[in-house]
Amino acid sequence: MILSSPFTASGAHHYEMPLSLRSFTSLNRALLSSSSPSSLLLRGSSLVPTMAASSTTTVSSTDAAPQLNQSTPSPPPVQVAKRLEKFKTTIFTQMSSLAIKHNAINLGQGFPNFDGPDFVKDAAIEAIKAGKNQYARGYGVPDLNSAIASRFQKDTGLIVDPEKEVTVTSGCTEAIAATILGLVNPGDEVVLFAPFYDSYEAVLSMAGANIKCITLRPPDFAVPLEELKSVVSANTKAIMINTPHNPTGKMFTREELEFIAQLCKENDVLVFTDEVYDKLSFEMDHISMASLPGMFNRTVTLNSLGKTFSLTGWKIGWAVAPPHLTWGVRQAHSFLTFATSTPMQFAAATALQTSDSYYEELKRDYLAKKAILVEGLEAVGFVVYPSSGTYFVVVDHTPFGFENDVAFCEHLIEEVGVVAIPTSVFYLNPEEGKNLVRFTFCKDEATLRGAVERMKHKLRKR
Amino acid sequence: MEGKVSRASRKLEASPIQELSQLAQTCRAINLAEGFPDFPAPPHLKAAALSAITGDFNQYRHVQGICHLLATQMKGRHGIAVNALSDFVICCGQSEAFAASIFAIVDPGDEVLLFDPAYETYESCILLAGGIPVYVPLSPPDWSFKKDELMKYFTSRTKALVLNSPHNPTGKVFTRDELETICEACKIMECFAITDEVYEYITYDRELHISLASLPGMQERTIITSSLSKTFSVTGWRIGWACAPANIASAIRNIHVKITDSAPAPFQEAALTALQSPPDYYCSLRTEYEARRDYVVQILSVLGFQVRFKPKGSVFIFAELPDHCELSDIEFVKKLIEKAGVAAVPGCGFFHTTPQPQDGEKYQRRYIRFAFCKSGETLSAARQKMEQCVNEDGQLSF
Repeated sequence: MILSSPFTASGAHHYEMPLSLRSFTSLNRALLSSSSPSSLLLRGSSLVPTMAASSTTTVSSTDAAPQLNQSTPSPPPVQVAKRLEKFKTTIFTQMSSLAIKHNAINLGQGFPNFDGPDFVKDAAIEAIKAGKNQYARGYGVPDLNSAIASRFQKDTGLIVDPEKEVTVTSGCTEAIAATILGLVNPGDEVVLFAPFYDSYEAVLSMAGANIKCITLRPPDFAVPLEELKSVVSANTKAIMINTPHNPTGKMFTREELEFIAQLCKENDVLVFTDEVYDKLSFEMDHISMASLPGMFNRTVTLNSLGKTFSLTGWKIGWAVAPPHLTWGVRQAHSFLTFATSTPMQFAAATALQTSDSYYEELKRDYLAKKAILVEGLEAVGFVVYPSSGTYFVVVDHTPFGFENDVAFCEHLIEEVGVVAIPTSVFYLNPEEGKNLVRFTFCKDEATLRGAVERMKHKLRKR
Repeated sequence: MEGKVSRASRKLEASPIQELSQLAQTCRAINLAEGFPDFPAPPHLKAAALSAITGDFNQYRHVQGICHLLATQMKGRHGIAVNALSDFVICCGQSEAFAASIFAIVDPGDEVLLFDPAYETYESCILLAGGIPVYVPLSPPDWSFKKDELMKYFTSRTKALVLNSPHNPTGKVFTRDELETICEACKIMECFAITDEVYEYITYDRELHISLASLPGMQERTIITSSLSKTFSVTGWRIGWACAPANIASAIRNIHVKITDSAPAPFQEAALTALQSPPDYYCSLRTEYEARRDYVVQILSVLGFQVRFKPKGSVFIFAELPDHCELSDIEFVKKLIEKAGVAAVPGCGFFHTTPQPQDGEKYQRRYIRFAFCKSGETLSAARQKMEQCVNEDGQLSF
């Protein structure tokens, strides 16, 4: 058997699990044997196993078995923190090893199978050679902070101070964590839109927030304005927005953003907006909440290098916010990772200074890929929901007669040889997503065509 | 709108080390404050990183080979047998490994023991997780603690003890005796130990670093954290790890995945090369650092500092101000930057306890931390600059 991710539950079979972990371990076992949809998912998983030279599947015979001292009626065995009760292992792990086993074409992973542009990689190489290998200033290398501020100004018209209003983090994932941990108190109410990238819920749990979830529904995943209004009050601390949206590809419209802005101003609510896919906006212009009248002072805008420049493993992200909010973000950041990878920051500054032609070509490229995938999925028989941005598309799989999204995805891997992601993992209530699965088109054209061919030949409506 | 910042992060203060660094930059001072090298990273490592970038190792990844190499090292050096498949979490530096470990095991209200003086970041992570830091003072001049005293700091709420050895800022390397005491206490009180072993390869006078997890009964309750940064002079690459029994590692991994998801990919590849460095590499590392230590100890002594404890490990010397000096540590460092053009760190930021009567009231304002992870030229230049500010006794005086 090929080496699968080390993050399968093999450990769980050998060791005495503390009480607080038992609920999620049994969930994990359920996943291995059935189509329970109740696991969380990674966006672009770090769990792609690499075939390093010394890999082996045999577990060392000298496993560390934590035989805790049980000689006397003693304090309970060492326990992990309660906050982990909400953390579940990812279904992506199972999908990943299933995919490898069946040689499936992977349109589930949210990262490209092609690499970033040479001019950015060359800049990183130059930085390493020039000795830029030690700790960077905690909140970012000055060149990068400036480049981020310039780019932000081009995109939104807002002038921000790179020294006081820009913070560099290890990817947008860390920017989200630092924002939430830095600004949200235990018990604070935070509004989330489902389906959502799973780190939002997990980190909000870590911060002890009280989550109020609003579901976006097909076909257009529009924001249910009245429902939102009923949920926002003076008790609301923040609203989290992801636009362009993973997994649906929805982009928040000006009307929706203005409505949300109005609620925020009336109730003194903050906005945290994750805009990592802003350069992959196809059907409409991307609008940043921070650019709406009166909103900059209460908005944290999050972004990263990885999606725009196809370098997801470099982990360069950032938060742009007014000084009084930046302070909290920086505090949390400095104790989460202290500083961000130095040579990559220099390269990121070069990347962000590139001309608009790079972004135009990026869009053209992705539009072509999207066309291949969408036409293919429609021809195969999926109901394809329009995706305005990101490199994701969600589809309704029910024409193929499966009970839920996980069952469909397992079939798709095993019998058809293609990977998609079950979207139920993106909801608080998995039932709400059971009809939908997510495909990505951040793959080269040959891969996309290959996947479409397999589906045309082997996927049958029931 | 200060009310918008979370209560937890409001308790935290900006890093004094980073602030002083900025003053030093403004004055263009020679920086013996922050603990990172000003000499280049090893060429074989840089080459490996370049190779990884051009070889397209640039997307999210987890490089399992790192875990296998680390497992082999742990077995060889410490006799600790770990499972490379389940016991490791690769993180963005030891910083993130520590933060993720704290979040994995500390509940609000849990107490965490720390030896004082302590690196400032530990407390902040504990506070962010809702935990309560409890400090066990190390007594000058040799930074020891009394064995029978240690148990007094544990309560039924103690969740973990943090052990940083070799130690920042004092350069102490905890002895086997001390480790055994800590070991017994953790076992009796059924608590975790979290170790910070980033200076594990930087020890002197033939003193070897002993990993707490290698003591009987400790592996099952110890989370080891460390990184490439100090061993390989690549503090800006952000490659570190946590190692713990599988169920704990799993918890740490779950947190890590939500904080950053992945350590920088090309540097994970380069880590494979780093971790296969020949024994010669580690020997030269030690020899070169020992020479620097000796040089700086000598200079500081001649300048009037009291170096009553010669560091046995790490890249720091924790020197006491000259007897005659009436300035506090902060005042002294400011003068050192402004008049001598040399930056160091005032020790008060590392102390968190009320001084014990037998140790005297003032010692916590009398220590300065100097980093010697700098090139020979830098250290020599620092000496020359400080020599400009001596009095007729040849001692530094402002």
